[in-house]
Amino acid sequence: MDASLAELSWDEMAGVAQAAPASATSVLQVRDLEKRFGGTVVLSDCTIDVAEGEIVTLLGPSGCGKTTLLRCIAGFWEPDGGAISIDGRNALPIPVNRRPVGVVFQSYALFPHMTVAQNVGYGLRMRGVPKRQIAEAVARILDTVALGAFADRWPAQLSGGQQQRVAVARVLVLEPRVLLLDEPFSALDAKLRGAMQMDLRQLIKRLGITAIFVTHDQEEALIMSDRIAVMRQGRIEQIAAPEEVFDHPATAYVADFVGASNFWAASAENGKVVLSDGSTVATKLTGPVRAMSRPHNIRLEAGHGGPWTGTITLHRPVGPLVDYVVRTMDGIDIKVSALRQEQARILADGAEVTLSLRDPSLCAIYPAD
Amino acid sequence: MIASAQQNPLTRLGSATMDKLLSGRGVWPAVPALIALTVVAVIPFGILLSLGFTDILVNRGAISWNGFTLDFLTNALTDTLYWTTFRRSMTLALTTTALCFLFGYPVAYLFLVGGAWTRRLILILTIAPLLTSGIVRTYAWLVILGGRGVVNGTLMQLGVIDQPLRIVNTHWAVLIGMAQIHLPVMILPLIAVLARQDRSIEEASANLGASRLGTLRHVILPMSAPGIGTGTALVFTLSYTTFVVPQLLGGGNYLNAATMIYEQVVFSLEWSKGAVSSLILMLTCLVVLAAIAMVTNHLTRWTRAHDA
Repeated sequence: MDASLAELSWDEMAGVAQAAPASATSVLQVRDLEKRFGGTVVLSDCTIDVAEGEIVTLLGPSGCGKTTLLRCIAGFWEPDGGAISIDGRNALPIPVNRRPVGVVFQSYALFPHMTVAQNVGYGLRMRGVPKRQIAEAVARILDTVALGAFADRWPAQLSGGQQQRVAVARVLVLEPRVLLLDEPFSALDAKLRGAMQMDLRQLIKRLGITAIFVTHDQEEALIMSDRIAVMRQGRIEQIAAPEEVFDHPATAYVADFVGASNFWAASAENGKVVLSDGSTVATKLTGPVRAMSRPHNIRLEAGHGGPWTGTITLHRPVGPLVDYVVRTMDGIDIKVSALRQEQARILADGAEVTLSLRDPSLCAIYPAD
Repeated sequence: MIASAQQNPLTRLGSATMDKLLSGRGVWPAVPALIALTVVAVIPFGILLSLGFTDILVNRGAISWNGFTLDFLTNALTDTLYWTTFRRSMTLALTTTALCFLFGYPVAYLFLVGGAWTRRLILILTIAPLLTSGIVRTYAWLVILGGRGVVNGTLMQLGVIDQPLRIVNTHWAVLIGMAQIHLPVMILPLIAVLARQDRSIEEASANLGASRLGTLRHVILPMSAPGIGTGTALVFTLSYTTFVVPQLLGGGNYLNAATMIYEQVVFSLEWSKGAVSSLILMLTCLVVLAAIAMVTNHLTRWTRAHDA
């Protein structure tokens, strides 16, 4: 199917779209995308549908293929297999300078020799739009991103956050069907980043733009996205809403990459796993498995009062939380996050404790390695 | 060591001066260079200039000074030979500069878009000619362009021409030689500027709808303005004041400003004329350099934006 789909024409693609009702409203469709550099496969079987107005994040460590996927969608690189379509139309034959796709680069890539207004008007100028219309469109979009007063500045005179807004305005003025953002916050300092993330998400949502956003920062992904695609070694491990990815990670890799996690060995029988604290969780697996729980899903009680006990080896008060590390009887370190207000006093290192799961159904069960 | 410095006030003064020269602010670190420049350039040039504005009479071995005169300058400015010679020098220098830009920019662009090996090759090929002297390279052109040279030999072998073309000892030989010899001086500043560019800027231009040509015209070319300014100024200065290439490839009849000064000073021993010619050469060169600097300044005002 992979090979034949890539060769389908525009009309045939439309037929395929009708056959799959879920994709009827998607603006961007990526099907079984593959990309190799020499003998190295950097992307394989990547399939994503992005709906109108949706923000999807490609999340993964460096080298996982997320930027490669972005560059293939933008048209900077040609995939070796698979299909990309925008509004149901095959995008692969469309040259890079005609794709209805706007890219915000990690470095922003503003033209240093043009003023803010010239930067923003560049795309319209390349399209041969009359000067007066360019000026009007530029003024409008600069007002939208609150940079109206900076139209005649050079990019070097702007702060990092302002430069980012120019980069965003520069592509939005062209009304792209898909907005691609490559780690747009990595050049900003941590304090500014949080505010900019919310601002950018609100702007994209307000304008109803379909966006794909690349990051290696899981927190950023959880804040920005409607859905997150977690990538690993050129493949998409899971694509789901942020809460879903966090609460029900599809694989151990996802659980490990998104948020903090604890893993321990268990065994599955008769469709269920009996966890260390005696509670059970359902599974389709049998035999040796790995159980996973988030630190905040584990409750600590002083003293030995249950089957799952251990000793506190580290405690760190972090704002409203206390992060503990508990060495259990079977020699595993378990991370626990407790709300400070829940506890009368912070447990000290060396204290004997009993662990239990708050909600066993939020424990994930994965095959053993 | 500190004790001895305190004992001898002269040593103390010396080491204080040394400190200023090595790590001082403002003009201090440039003092040694300025002294050297004054001794080897400013003073000799001053002496030469003074010859151009003093009336010297040599009468039977006796030299008499007759004071200040503008005669040499007015003579030069009313002499049509001067005008044609300087005009020729100016045309030659401007044409050479234009040729160097036309041939040099594509090389620098290739450096920008090329891979690691292309870049290495371009650098080696650009710098290698600089390792030999200009005279050697000029002689190489004599061999290539001469009556029995590579160019004529090939053309005659192919039957394109029957008689060898007369290239050496013409304006064309001088122009070809100058363009080749000064090409690296244009390419290197261009490469220095282009290699610093963020490559995603070109991708951004393409993403915003520009064709390759559009990106070159509206983004890469304007962004290389600092390099174009430097390269243009260097090539112009070198070719406007050049002596070796016109002398050898022009065959001794080819008169540009530098060869004219050479003849005035060495053959006809008219030092006053030579002095005035040198002054005109220097001033006209400065005028063009000032024009280049003004245009470049305007085109690169964005590079000083953080100052504003």
